[in-house]
Amino acid sequence: MRKLKEYLMITLVSVQGLLVISVAVLLPAMIFWIGSPSLSLKLFTSSVFEGGLFECIMGTIWMLLGTIAISGPIGVLAAIYLVEYAPRSSKIVRVVDQSINNLAGVPSIVIGLFGYTFFSYHLKLGISLLSGWLTLSLMTLPIIIRGSEEALRMIPYSFREAAIGLGATKWEAVRDNVLPVAAPGIATSIILAVARIAGEVAAILFTACVLTMRGLPDSILEPVMTLSYYLFVMLVTSPKFSISKAFATATVLLLVVIFLVVVATAIRTYYRRIWKW
Amino acid sequence: MVRSEKIKIETIDLHVWYRDLHVLKGVNMQIPEKRVTAIIGPSGCGKTTLLKSLNRMVELVEDSKVKGQVLLDGVNIYDDSIDLTELRKRVGMVFQKPNPLPKSIYENIAYGPRIHGINDKKELDKIVEKCLKEAGLWDEVKDRLNDSAFNLSIGQQQRLCIARTLAVNPEVLLMDEPCSALDPRSTMKVEELIEKLRGTYTIVIVTHNMQQAQRISDYTAFIYYGKIVEFGPTEDIFLNPKEKLTRDYIKGKFG
Repeated sequence: MRKLKEYLMITLVSVQGLLVISVAVLLPAMIFWIGSPSLSLKLFTSSVFEGGLFECIMGTIWMLLGTIAISGPIGVLAAIYLVEYAPRSSKIVRVVDQSINNLAGVPSIVIGLFGYTFFSYHLKLGISLLSGWLTLSLMTLPIIIRGSEEALRMIPYSFREAAIGLGATKWEAVRDNVLPVAAPGIATSIILAVARIAGEVAAILFTACVLTMRGLPDSILEPVMTLSYYLFVMLVTSPKFSISKAFATATVLLLVVIFLVVVATAIRTYYRRIWKW
Repeated sequence: MVRSEKIKIETIDLHVWYRDLHVLKGVNMQIPEKRVTAIIGPSGCGKTTLLKSLNRMVELVEDSKVKGQVLLDGVNIYDDSIDLTELRKRVGMVFQKPNPLPKSIYENIAYGPRIHGINDKKELDKIVEKCLKEAGLWDEVKDRLNDSAFNLSIGQQQRLCIARTLAVNPEVLLMDEPCSALDPRSTMKVEELIEKLRGTYTIVIVTHNMQQAQRISDYTAFIYYGKIVEFGPTEDIFLNPKEKLTRDYIKGKFG
């Protein structure tokens, strides 16, 4: 009887595992399968006015890099504060901690609405790349903070203790003996954040993009086109927009995300190598 | 109590609380200069806390509170004007579990001098060699100074930690049961090292091991639930304890 249960359990978890893996493999495979026939070099290099995606690709990359440039440092510093400095018993720290969880749970359309009223309207940043960065940062911050916190907490307390015992200040101990070792974990949290917002439409719907087609923005105060937004608008508004074109756009979006993740992973691997311990 | 010795550290009515837990209850103790002083006592009675209060590492424990004075060369280290980094440079610490930094063997030693402002490569090379030799580790590691410190055996790691502490030129060495994680051979090597350092540094060592205290220390303090029960030259404590509690403890009636 116990053997039977064990056997059933193994079957059950294996089936679940296979299910998850097949979804993870089949979904991108399907997108590539349907999208790839319409894929061409011209799609990457020619402008949207000529049926290409160039502005959208650049827009997506700028969107992601800018968001990371803003929320990365803030998130990592916040995590350092929460792990290394904040007194655990303090009420304020607990409120901050809970707010981060709450922020992570806010639907992206609500974040978008907030970004529109606060950044675009009140701070008069308009519908622009900058408003988009700030709005998307609200979504990436909790991911980066939580991930970096996790990475920092995994570093043994003894590293800090050893350095402080030698006369290092708290910051020196963290900078020299905690951050280098936690860096790969922190990088992972940033990669996750990128993956989370790469396809985001709702949050930039009112803050960074406009319905009319346009070229590349001349400054960060101008609207921008992104792949996800373009895909959404075309599907909703343009009767000429074919399914194969839609999947080609989705394929490009996937490729951009994969490209960024590969770059980030390469950086992570590099640092992991030079900071071996 | 301490016969005609120069006093390096003196604690005056030292109290330590962790939240509501009263760990040290008025410790008065004089630690003689350039001697080895052992602190013995049952688990959880405040030995490590006493040690950590001598370089203010005790303050890293959240919700800890210290009252009283610790005089280092006559100056209260709990004074507001004390520079903590300077204090911990003068009063170095070796921990119970070897805790190398996540760096190479070389960088483990060079880290202390570096944060205190020595960046000259030649000078660092010299310090690293000198400290590793002092810790008797040089011959074992000289060909792999750039290896990770975690590749060393536990015993070597602990001697590396001692060498690392020596690199910042301390006056006092606090050792918190430095051999408790080591095998007998490594323990012997660390004891030999302490023997070598005697006379150069003021050493305070917490130990669970009564034989070790007898072997290596000049003075012994027996601490029991936050209070010093007896303190004196090691042979007196072990051969003619004045207090019944001390006698029972060293005979192994409780521990």
